[in-house]
Amino acid sequence: MAAPISTNRGLDDTEAYILLILADSNLPTGAFVASAGLESFFKHGFGGVGLGGGAGGVAVKQGADGTMVFLRSGIASYARSASAFVRDAHAIVAAYMHGEEGMGLEETLAKLGQLDALYEAMTLNHVARRASTTQGIALLTLYSKGFTKPPGSFDVPNGTEGVDMEDFVVEMKLRIRRGRLSGHLPVCWAVMTAALGLQAERSVWLHLFLHARALLSASVRLNTLGPYAAQQLLLHSVRPLVDNEMERPSTLHSGLLDEVDNLEDDDDVRPANTWPLGEILAARHDLQHSRIFNS
Amino acid sequence: MDDGSVPAPLAPARHVFHGKGKAVLRASGNSASFSELSYGYPLKLLSPRTVVDGPIATVYVLSYGGGLVSGDRIDLEVDVGERCSLLMLTQGFTKVFRARGKTISDPSSDGAITRQRLSTTIRSQSLLLLLPDPVTCFARSSYSQIQTFDLAPSGSAIILDWFTSGRMSRGEVWELDRYRSVNEIRIDGKRVARDVMLIENRTTGQLKRRLAPYGCYATVFLFGPLVQPVLQSLRAQYDTIQQMQLSAPEPFIWSLSPLEKGDAGILRCAGKETETVRVWLRAALADVGKLVGKDVYDKAFV
Repeated sequence: MAAPISTNRGLDDTEAYILLILADSNLPTGAFVASAGLESFFKHGFGGVGLGGGAGGVAVKQGADGTMVFLRSGIASYARSASAFVRDAHAIVAAYMHGEEGMGLEETLAKLGQLDALYEAMTLNHVARRASTTQGIALLTLYSKGFTKPPGSFDVPNGTEGVDMEDFVVEMKLRIRRGRLSGHLPVCWAVMTAALGLQAERSVWLHLFLHARALLSASVRLNTLGPYAAQQLLLHSVRPLVDNEMERPSTLHSGLLDEVDNLEDDDDVRPANTWPLGEILAARHDLQHSRIFNS
Repeated sequence: MDDGSVPAPLAPARHVFHGKGKAVLRASGNSASFSELSYGYPLKLLSPRTVVDGPIATVYVLSYGGGLVSGDRIDLEVDVGERCSLLMLTQGFTKVFRARGKTISDPSSDGAITRQRLSTTIRSQSLLLLLPDPVTCFARSSYSQIQTFDLAPSGSAIILDWFTSGRMSRGEVWELDRYRSVNEIRIDGKRVARDVMLIENRTTGQLKRRLAPYGCYATVFLFGPLVQPVLQSLRAQYDTIQQMQLSAPEPFIWSLSPLEKGDAGILRCAGKETETVRVWLRAALADVGKLVGKDVYDKAFV
């Protein structure tokens, strides 16, 4: 598991097509209302430039620097917190789709529920929790409404190998609505991408890429970054950040649900918050006198 | 070293130790006493005799020589009996000396991490106040702590966990190799919070860029029925904040997130100076004085 994009092995046409669809910035995922703390970061005087002052010239230059400061720490911390959950949830759904023994609907949902509950217990900032569950359910809705087969098409059932992922997603949404699951973003992302047939590493990689791109879009909306500069950063500066995170925790998957006593590991690569400052700023989002994002 | 700054001090010359300790507090009538209080080098537990009104006790968790050496390990088990209140304190910063042998900056040799493990049981109607001094990780040190808190449904706890950027007086700012702190809180056996804070210098100066301008970070967990007044006053204070655009970061910043549908909370704060954070926390948690008496609370944050 070494190569970046971790993953250009065996990209078949179907997967390539799905990557194109999922990379569409118009995809209704709710990501456009989330800034993951970026707005608060600038509001609190970090990043060297204020908001709402009609940024131009110097301000935009500073805003680009500030955006990169945020991206460097923010992507690292999010990747460290979420990647393992995407990997593990993806593996659970894949096992269900392959009809593995002991992985019926109930068992699969129970295992996803454990991961989901752990993510909830590790996401202790209410703004991040809210953004995560909002986007999580949005992805499941996107799958049900946007990615299942249109009515009238009689073909194999949705998903692969005879497992109907439409029913699975419907059941999962029901449990979220009844409060039996929180439905956090990394878990729901994994469910959707696994159902679409995207490989696990590609799913993680795309998730981090989209997280980074959403932050750049947020910076453009905040007027702290110009639209051309955003593309420039996305092409040249963001890629090493994402690739770096892909190389590092590739062994992360497994052991996620260990008891706390087993967390004593010198080479520990398990989920962690690596940016305490970002956590405080993100949690203070709602205190902003005026704001344009939900997180 | 690559930065040419003041060489990191060597750890005191001594062997590494694994110190185990146990404290069991039990109430009888209107007083509380330790039915067990045991410890081994380099750990020391001291419980000063004080006149208090109620089943309340204080214990100081000390390490000989005032610091921990790489490879040292402390395991402490604490049991707060029904109706008891226990205030756990330290005396001065917990200093963590630089790692011998293997460090992130020198990964070829083999060395050791300094570890602390705290397991607590907080029984019905009891209260644990864990209000230590911050951990100070010296340049190139490596520290890992795991703390678990098992609360009965009517148990309460205020847990402070904080760390500083190093010996600021020597110009040491976030030069530690690695600091990891895990706090897990379970109520009636159910995990409600697992906070894993990990900061490390993977490249020179990385942490300084990431954590500046602050030199001290703190997290406070507040759980249980007894802490509700403290939580409410924090909430009231927090809700008045209206954040306008700042031109530069302020010297102190804090956040408060509700947990358990508002019955619990997590407070995080950071300050440029450790003293700023200490003074702020002492005032912010002042209502704790009503729970255990002002004289007892005054021993914290000194």
